[in-house]
Amino acid sequence: MKKLRLAITGMTACSGCQLSLLNCENELPDLLEKFDFSFFPLASSPLDLIGEYDASIVEGCVSMPHEKKLLLELRNRSRYLIAVGTCAVFGGVAALKNDEEREVLRKQVYGSSSIVESTFRPLPLNNLVQVDASITGCPPEKMELLRLLGGLLAGALPVDSDYPVCTECRIRENICLLTERGELCLGMLVSGGCHARCPSMAVPCEGCRGPLPEANLREALRIYAEKGFDRETVFARLRRFCPEWRL
Amino acid sequence: MLTRFISDQNLPDFMQKLRKFGGIEGPLRGEDGGVRFGNLSDGTTPDIHAIRTLLPAKKYLFAPEERLFNYTLQEGYKILLEDISPVTLFALHPCELAGINYLDRLLGGDAPDPHYAARRSQITLIGISCLPDEFCSCHISPSPLQALSDIFMNIVEGGFVVTVYSSRGKEIMEDMKDLAEERELPVPQDARRFFGVSLPLNVMSEIDTGLPEWQKLADRCLGCGACSLCCPTCACFNILEFAGLDGVSSERIRYWDNCLFKSHSMVAGGAVFNKGRAERFIYRYRHKQRGFGPLRGVPSCVGCGRCRAFCPIGLDLRVLTELLERSAV
Ligand code: SF4
Ligand code: SF4
Ligand code: SF4
Ligand code: SF4
Repeated sequence: MKKLRLAITGMTACSGCQLSLLNCENELPDLLEKFDFSFFPLASSPLDLIGEYDASIVEGCVSMPHEKKLLLELRNRSRYLIAVGTCAVFGGVAALKNDEEREVLRKQVYGSSSIVESTFRPLPLNNLVQVDASITGCPPEKMELLRLLGGLLAGALPVDSDYPVCTECRIRENICLLTERGELCLGMLVSGGCHARCPSMAVPCEGCRGPLPEANLREALRIYAEKGFDRETVFARLRRFCPEWRL
Repeated sequence: MLTRFISDQNLPDFMQKLRKFGGIEGPLRGEDGGVRFGNLSDGTTPDIHAIRTLLPAKKYLFAPEERLFNYTLQEGYKILLEDISPVTLFALHPCELAGINYLDRLLGGDAPDPHYAARRSQITLIGISCLPDEFCSCHISPSPLQALSDIFMNIVEGGFVVTVYSSRGKEIMEDMKDLAEERELPVPQDARRFFGVSLPLNVMSEIDTGLPEWQKLADRCLGCGACSLCCPTCACFNILEFAGLDGVSSERIRYWDNCLFKSHSMVAGGAVFNKGRAERFIYRYRHKQRGFGPLRGVPSCVGCGRCRAFCPIGLDLRVLTELLERSAV
């Protein structure tokens, strides 16, 4: 079988998603047998984009002109374009301040320095190009990344989950932090797949995997209000990983 | 009736001897206050008075996630049946037993599910009596009153009146002669018979899917699936196959599925039968109160009360059950 040609790169983000893949040390030798990591700047010296790719795997959201150019280029050259990580899928922490003026933010961070590149409001990938599949998570689960790659070899793309973090939390028989302890856990509004990592360590879900497709926001807000959390507090928490949550 | 009596003092020794027959799994109260079925290793004390565990004992028969097959180029699909060691499930309430009896019919019937059958054959059931709370509805479900176990322990003053229902149970109790004296004792009446008012369960009547109550429930449901995960008789599953990194092998995994998820009724091409939450509620109700397929007419609800107790918004299908049964009479 011919090796699959991959392009793996990041836009505005922390590189954590790409690192999650590089952290799969045990599987890396197998991956090298089956994939040609033709463009992977984080792992090897930057190369130019050459020819076509079976898949582009992209982390982060787009906030600079050169990123936009690279993304369009990758899209044009790839059979599949796959968004990996919450930033690429929903905006994530990179889009945390999307409601505020760019110019004000720029001044806060860089003062009057003029060497800063021009930036725009960070956008998730699907605002600019067609995305064939997404893997959410901040960072994504290693298992999901490996299954994505295995799937590509078999010609399949991953399926989206349609259950919340609460589902896996219940399967793990955790005491509910929201209903039993009155803590602000976002589990019921957030896409599952992390095996309820945080509530299983008695830490409320922060919502890092982004919104559940059919989240029942109205009812959730009612429960949160009952537990003493007003809308502003809940939305401030929700928007940390997805600025699209609206009152 | 000639029965055996185990005193409270003898219970630890009984448990110790029971370990000879395999590992014991029973209700344990965690430091966080939650009660879960877990390993009753030497030195642990089961909470025999706990009213309900977070998940039912079905997790031992039908795992939340189970690898069913491996595929390799050489061998094709190969069924995975790991060596399963004998397990005694201890302190099962009648609803829990009824749940297992139901799963036995569903997954262990004419065409048994091989993974279920393999686990089930290694399991011994020891039941225990209990007192219902406000969430329980076992008294309106016929099955808990007839639930089968290998051994059943009725809690009485100072100990347990033990009745034996199977050859496996007999074999175990034979071994316990020194700890369980034979006595002429009345087997206590089932406490649940005196709990609540029994409703006529007209299980075959058609249900009124036009009731506005369906939509009211649906508008509040979060779709978290807790009500079905914790149900002793919910056994819907999803099967996913994951390709290996060698490009040829794969593994096929079964997961607990849930009729309150949209994907549950999604078919190839993306069409969904039960589009809205209200339809999904009607579906769940039909299954729980009316039964399905070959078990049509047999309600699958055993009245354990978990769905009501664990639903984050406290949804209670009993309200609808009563409404519908009344209108059907
Ligand atoms: S602890 Fe959080 S994730 Fe777990 S069930 Fe409660 S709300 Fe859901
Ligand atoms: S529990 Fe919530 S915050 Fe934690 S990993 Fe899962 S989605 Fe992210
Ligand atoms: S439907 Fe509810 S009360 Fe009935 S058996 Fe299932 S979890 Fe228990
Ligand atoms: S537990 Fe309650 S909120 Fe969750 S799916 Fe069931 S009915 Fe809906």
